[in-house]
Amino acid sequence: MSDRPPDIVLIRPAPAETALHLSPALLAVASPLLLLLGWEAVVRLAWLDARFFPAPSDVLVALWQMLLTGMLLQHTFWTLQRVLIGFVLGAVPGLLLGLVMGLSPWVRAFLKPAIAAIYPIPKVALLPLIMMIFGLGEPSKWIIVAIAVFFQLLLSTIAGVLGIERIYLDVARNLHATRLQAYASVALPGALPSIFAGCQLGLGMALIVVVIAENFGTDAGLGYLVWRSWQVFEVTDMYVGLMMIALLGYLFQLAMGRLERRLLRWRPAATAMKGTP
Amino acid sequence: MRSDYKIAIRAVTRRFGALAALERIDIAIAPGEFVCIVGPSGCGKTTLLRILAGLETPSTGEVAIVQQDPARPLNTMIFQESSIFPWMTVRQNVGYGLRLRGIGAAERARRIAPLLDLTGLARFADAFPYQLSGGMKQRVSVARAFANDPELLLMDEPFAALDEQNKALLQEELLRLWSAERKTVVFITHSIDEALVLGDRVLVMTARPGRIKADIPVPFARPRSVVELKQHPDYVRLNHEIWKLLRDEVRPAA
Ligand SMILES: Nc1ncnc2c1ncn2[C@@H]1O[C@H](COP(=O)(O)OP(=O)(O)OP(=O)(O)O)[C@@H](O)[C@H]1O
Ligand SMILES: [Mg+2]
Repeated sequence: MSDRPPDIVLIRPAPAETALHLSPALLAVASPLLLLLGWEAVVRLAWLDARFFPAPSDVLVALWQMLLTGMLLQHTFWTLQRVLIGFVLGAVPGLLLGLVMGLSPWVRAFLKPAIAAIYPIPKVALLPLIMMIFGLGEPSKWIIVAIAVFFQLLLSTIAGVLGIERIYLDVARNLHATRLQAYASVALPGALPSIFAGCQLGLGMALIVVVIAENFGTDAGLGYLVWRSWQVFEVTDMYVGLMMIALLGYLFQLAMGRLERRLLRWRPAATAMKGTP
Repeated sequence: MRSDYKIAIRAVTRRFGALAALERIDIAIAPGEFVCIVGPSGCGKTTLLRILAGLETPSTGEVAIVQQDPARPLNTMIFQESSIFPWMTVRQNVGYGLRLRGIGAAERARRIAPLLDLTGLARFADAFPYQLSGGMKQRVSVARAFANDPELLLMDEPFAALDEQNKALLQEELLRLWSAERKTVVFITHSIDEALVLGDRVLVMTARPGRIKADIPVPFARPRSVVELKQHPDYVRLNHEIWKLLRDEVRPAA
């Protein structure tokens, strides 16, 4: 017999949750803040060329001035408007077609090859074509955003519906749900988590696309601000534009998170794996 | 028109690819009859019930089901695995069948309330399934089927996950519903006791491919008292008889 004492496995309450409670919000602000501070330091130490990388403090001053003239809000408003209109134009059909394709193997088999072929084309590569058809005005910008968002929502919705356990559709069928009822009570809510993921990706895509589209046929928008600053070598203004785009992206994320928590109350709250920070 | 059967299963077979799940099943079930089915795991009980529920089709043969009242749902199935919608509250889950039929909120609430009480879920009416225990979830699906008030109840081991008290309570309620409303019930169970307490008949199935091995009438008068029933000499004899039939199927290669 070994004289080694037996190991004892202790199972104890999880570490106090209070510390963890504060930290996600804190962490969320901490990383951009640290980035900015580091950036500032590096420029002040002249490790980075201030002509290309102006210090964040300089950018903030320029931002403040542009805010006072009202220019910045105008640019932001135009970009926001294009993103939101394009998003709705793309998301609604993407979601509806996604539900249909998710539930109907026939429609799926019929349309999937076409979508698989079109999807990998970079959406901005379609911009010249779209501007040829719709001109340089607003509709072109809505449409290019809509196309990008459409595919994102379409694919996420299909994946979401296909991920729904069969039994739920069996229940609906056994209780004689009509097709429309099955969409509303099973397919849509069941796919909602995936649809939300699609919306988040879609909004990101929309920002990317709109900024490129704003290089053409407009004199307003954050994308325009960036492109014009590049042409006239106003690097600081360019950073103002970039910062606002980043801020918009962050706010979209925040809003979607809110909405998601409201609509997906039926999912258990903990998303992190137990025991991991 | 009256017919002498509620369900007629005629020479039904079902295969999944190369796998024969059911082989020539012939069963006639009378209106208002309570039929229990026992059989070894994987013998095709669920498959048979899904065929009756219209969720699966036979490979050969046919099933005829008589519908008395076209205004009422013909059948409702209680599934073996968890089948309540995670995105609906208990109340919405229980009222789901009624809502699909266009029954208004007030009427739904009126019909659901007693079932929530009965299943002990009243306090959890607005909870989501992730907040329930396994047994509670199963009770939600029982309540959903009862609320739907079909002519034919298809129950796939509905009480298997329940504690003895809740099981006894729901068995009693099932019998009350059944005798008050002349429902027809097809009830799958692993418990011989449960089959003998509830059923008019016990069908014993063979191992896969499932066939009907024995069709045993349960002679006990109703209403049945479970405690007295279990001391009845016939009960002990039947229980043992079915047990032996099943044992031979579980160890077929002997
Ligand atoms: N959709 C399916 N595809 C392929 N095989 C299936 C399918 N459904 C059932 N089977 C097979 O058919 C056989 C019968 O399955 P079934 O679910 O009817 O058994 P069961 O009698 O209900 O078993 P248990 O008592 O364990 O629930 C099993 O061997 C199973 O693997
Ligand atoms: Mg089964």
